[in-house]
Amino acid sequence: MSRYFDIDDIIMEDEHSAVFFKVGANGVGLLDPSAETNRVEQGSRVELPFWLANELYLRQAVSVNVPPCFNLKTRREIQADAACVDLRSRCPYFYELGCKVAPLIGDKTIGSFLLYAFMNRFKDILSKAHSAAFAVAPRFLPLLTKEEMQLYEAACSSMTGFKKWRVGGSRFEKASILGKKKRSSE
Amino acid sequence: MAGQSDPSLSMFSAAEVEFLAEDEMVEIVPNLNMDTLNLICGDFGPFRPQMATSVPLWLAVALKKRGKCTIRSPQWMSVENLTQVLEAERDSPAQFQPLPFHYVEISRLLFDNARDDIPDMYMARSLIEDIRDVRFHKFETGLEKISSSTHVVKLKNLSAMEVNIVRPFFVRALQAFAKHDSPQMIHHQQDAMSSRQTHVQDDGPRRDLRRR
Repeated sequence: MSRYFDIDDIIMEDEHSAVFFKVGANGVGLLDPSAETNRVEQGSRVELPFWLANELYLRQAVSVNVPPCFNLKTRREIQADAACVDLRSRCPYFYELGCKVAPLIGDKTIGSFLLYAFMNRFKDILSKAHSAAFAVAPRFLPLLTKEEMQLYEAACSSMTGFKKWRVGGSRFEKASILGKKKRSSE
Repeated sequence: MAGQSDPSLSMFSAAEVEFLAEDEMVEIVPNLNMDTLNLICGDFGPFRPQMATSVPLWLAVALKKRGKCTIRSPQWMSVENLTQVLEAERDSPAQFQPLPFHYVEISRLLFDNARDDIPDMYMARSLIEDIRDVRFHKFETGLEKISSSTHVVKLKNLSAMEVNIVRPFFVRALQAFAKHDSPQMIHHQQDAMSSRQTHVQDDGPRRDLRRR
């Protein structure tokens, strides 16, 4: 419930996944681009955003397929070299979506797959986040998902804060209004 | 103040950690005559010329800025001690050497305000920078070892400023690991038939202070 207002959560739920309709549905022909009449037939395959798929699944109207970002191709790539896989282009909310989708699909291996991916990427990329020089950083930044990006930025900001402090300087900041010269009104 | 800009980070800024460090006591040699200062945090003085007294760092720096005292360099900041500590840091890749909790802040304050009171200032400064780098590098290599089964990580002898730098990142990383690990446990329980799996489940709430 605490994630209801979380903007990342809302955007994440907009990711599409393929579903199979278990029942026919009237009046929602918009969802299926290949429908001639204004209804969706039973057994047709439709691309729906996750929030809609979730609700329909709870009403047992659809069965949800694996979203495209967790298919075999991605799994093979992650097993080959987790750190170099560009997860952001596939799905910027890779881990979050995986956690939400796992109970829907009934695929028990997603949890361990996510963990494996995160651990390996963490080892390679994020443990160097603190000391990453400015030139090195942009190389792998576009590969990170939103959550990894947050981790990375947290490390960066604390490091830059420390460096700024170390340089020293006055602890007081002069208010900008004091710098203006007083104009005498004679 | 701490955590106002981003409540999820709850981080102290570096200046705030420095402020906390200024409560540490240092030895000064005043060159003025003054009676005892009765402050809320304690009584300091009386100040007699050439008689060493122990005062908080903020008071020492304030007096130094007005030219009323000279600060005696703390014991741990001598070049011999720092060289020893640096050697020990380099030799033990898994442990941090005991150093004063606020050594970074104290050394920075003293270098900025009491340059002439510290013997071999440049040497000491570069040694402290080296020590800091080695410790930080140790911390980073240790980061790579934490895995999904880590519940608690124990880092002995880490100083205040170092803790402050790594705190947001570390907390978030551990949260992410915990989040990814919990459905894993459920899956283990569902398709496990041996009691070994349920034993893994029991390990969860136990406080394990060893870094795995």
